[in-house]
Amino acid sequence: MSKLRNVAVVGFAQLPVVARDEHRTATEMLYPVVRQALQECGVHRDGIDYQIAGSTDYMDGRPFGFVAALDVMGAWPPRQDLHLEMDASFCAYYAWVRMQAGECDTAIVVGHGKTSEGDPQRVLNLQLDPYYQAPLGLDPTSTAALQASAFLARGAATAADLAAVAARNRNNGVRNPDNQLRSPTTANELAQSPWAVEPLRQGYLPPVGETATCMVLAAEGKAETLCDKPVWIHGVDHRTELQTLGARDLSRSAGAKLAAERALAMAGLAKAGDVDVIELMAANPAEELILLEALGVDPRAGKPSINPSGGALCANPVMSTGLIRLGETFRQLSGRAGEHGVAGASRALAHAAQGHCLQTNIFWVVGSQRRWS
Amino acid sequence: MNEPPKEGIKYVETTVRLPYHYVAGDYKALYLLALKEKRILGSKCDTTGKVFVPPIVASPESFAPCSQLVEVADRGVVTTFCVVNIPVIGRNLELPYVAASVALDGAAISIFALIQECKPQDVHMGMRVEAVWKPDGERQGDHEDIQYFRPTGEPDAPPETYINRL
Amino acid sequence: MTQAAPTAAPLSQRQKMEFPYKHSTGPTIGRFYAGLKEQKKIWGQRVAGQGVVVPPLGYSEIDASEAGEWVEVSDRGTLTAVALVHHPIADLHPSAKPFAFVLVKLDGADTALAHIVSDNLDTAKVGARVQAVWAADDKRSGTLRDIESFRVVG
Repeated sequence: MSKLRNVAVVGFAQLPVVARDEHRTATEMLYPVVRQALQECGVHRDGIDYQIAGSTDYMDGRPFGFVAALDVMGAWPPRQDLHLEMDASFCAYYAWVRMQAGECDTAIVVGHGKTSEGDPQRVLNLQLDPYYQAPLGLDPTSTAALQASAFLARGAATAADLAAVAARNRNNGVRNPDNQLRSPTTANELAQSPWAVEPLRQGYLPPVGETATCMVLAAEGKAETLCDKPVWIHGVDHRTELQTLGARDLSRSAGAKLAAERALAMAGLAKAGDVDVIELMAANPAEELILLEALGVDPRAGKPSINPSGGALCANPVMSTGLIRLGETFRQLSGRAGEHGVAGASRALAHAAQGHCLQTNIFWVVGSQRRWS
Repeated sequence: MNEPPKEGIKYVETTVRLPYHYVAGDYKALYLLALKEKRILGSKCDTTGKVFVPPIVASPESFAPCSQLVEVADRGVVTTFCVVNIPVIGRNLELPYVAASVALDGAAISIFALIQECKPQDVHMGMRVEAVWKPDGERQGDHEDIQYFRPTGEPDAPPETYINRL
Repeated sequence: MTQAAPTAAPLSQRQKMEFPYKHSTGPTIGRFYAGLKEQKKIWGQRVAGQGVVVPPLGYSEIDASEAGEWVEVSDRGTLTAVALVHHPIADLHPSAKPFAFVLVKLDGADTALAHIVSDNLDTAKVGARVQAVWAADDKRSGTLRDIESFRVVG
C-alpha cells in the first residue's frame, strides 16, 4: 500500500433520533447540528474548505430538496459543494478522496432527511428497477426478509440467533442517549413480537426515525488544531453488487467481504478481528450476521465489541445511519462515547450500506494513531 | 418458435403515489398564523440585523441564527417583475398579468407577488405597492390571504433603496 | 445553540404526490413481456458469467457484455427465498390479504425471478416446487403480472 495522506475525523454531532420532530423541518434540524460540530472543533464556517451532503428528494417530498439545506450549511461566500443521494457515510468518502487529491484540507459532511414526512417503505421501493422488481411492490422490509430467509435456509444461523443478535443490539443501545429505542429487552421477548415480514419480527427492526448529522474531517496539519484526539482514517473501500436480487446469492455479501478486505489491507491489518470496535449498519439481525460472516468475526467471541452504540436497530434515520456508525467510532476512539464507551479502544471498523439487501457496502478502518508517517 | 415475439411491449406505465405529512416548522407556522391577523413576520439575523421574509432560522449569508421574529410592513417596492402572457397550470388569472418581486418595508429580501389594479405596462421597478388582504373572517393563514398587491400612488423609491433587496 | 427561538403549536400538512412515468422497455424487456402476453412463455437469455438469466436484461450484470441467445425456461421452478407478508401495505403491495414475496429459480434458469405466492402460504418454503399461475388470455397485457402468481405444487 502506497503512502496516503493522513485524514482524521475531528468532530461529529447529531440530534437524538426521534420518531418525528413536529417543530422543525429537515433543514431546521440540520442547522444546530452543523453549528455544534463546528463549535466543538473551535472553527468558524469560513475555516472549512469543502461541504458535502447526503439526502434523498423522494424522502423529502420535493425535487432538489437538498438545495434548501445549503442555507444552513454556511454556503456563503460561494463554496465547493456536492450532494449525493446516498447515506452520508459515502459522502465522507468523497470528502476523503478530495483530501487525498490535495484539493481541500477540511470538510463538513452532513446527512439530513425527515423520514417521518414520507413513507420509507414506498420511497425505498423506488430504489429497485421499474420493470421487474419495483412493480411487484417490493419494499425494503420484504427484500430484507427475502435475504434473511435465504440466509436461514443456508443453515448459517437459526431463528434464535436472530433474536439474540437483536437483543444484544437493543441492550447495548440502552446506554446511548442518541438512540430512539432505549428500553432493555430479552431475546425471548423479541422472539415473541409479531411478524413484520416473516422471517423478520417487528422486534428485529428499527422504527422509523429522523435526525440530522454533521461530521468534520480534516487532513494532517489541520486535524490536530481542531480536535484534542483526532481519529485517523487508516483504510476505506466500498463495493456494489448486482441490481437484480435474484441474480445474487442473497445469503452472502460478496461486496461487503471485498470492501472490508480492501479497507483492512489499506489499514495494514490482517483481519477484522484485530480492531476493538465494529459498528455495522445492519437494519436487521440477519444483515448483521451476514456482515459478520463476511468479516470473519464470531459475534459470540465478545471481542471486537460489536455495535456498542446499539447499532441501526435502535435508530435508523435514513441518510444518516451509516455516518452515525463512523461518528460512533470517532466517539469511541476519542473518549466521547460516554456510558457506552469501550475501554481502551484504539482501532475500529465502521460500515454503511445502501440499497436493498446490502447492495452497496462501505467499510472504514480508523485508529487513534496516524496511519502513515 | 424459439424466440419471444419480435415486436416487444414498448412501455411500462406506472404512477408512483407517495403520501407525505410535511412539518411546517415553527417559524413558518408563526408566519402563516400571523397572516390571518394581517401581519407579515420576518426573522432578524443576530449578526447583520437583516430581516428575512418569510422567516428562516439562520442567515444563509452570515451563518448566524435569526433568533428574533419581527413584523414588517404590508407595503413595499417592486424590485423586479415580469409580464406573464402564457397560462400556468393551477393559476386561473386573466392574461397578461404581472408577477413581481416586492421588497416589503423593513425586509432585506423580496417576496413573490401578483400586481393588480393597474395596467401591466404601468408596472415598473421602484413602484410603491401595498397588500390587498382577503376580508376579515376569510383569511385562512396561507399565502392566499394576500390576494395581490396594488400601486399606492406614492412617489417611486430610488434604486439605491432596493437594488440590494431583489 | 443558545438561541431561544420562538416556538409554535405544531403545524403540518398531508399531501399525496403522484408521479406518472412511462418507461421505455427497450428491445429485451419488451420482448420478454411480449412472450408472457402472446406466447404464455417465459424467456431468458444466455449471458456470460451468469448462465441463463431470467428475467433478461440484454446484457450481463457481471461484465456488461451483450447477452446471447434467447432460451425458453419452464414455468415451474424452486423457491430460493420467501418473505411472508402478514400485513400488506395498501397501494403498494400486490395483494390485500397476506401473501409471500418469493424468488423463484425456474427450471432451466440460473438466476431467480422475483414474484409472489398467493395461496397455501404455509407450504411456501425455500426449496418448495412452484408453478406459474397465468392470467387469462384476455387479461394478459404484457407485464410481469401476466403471471398472476406462483402456486406451490407437489
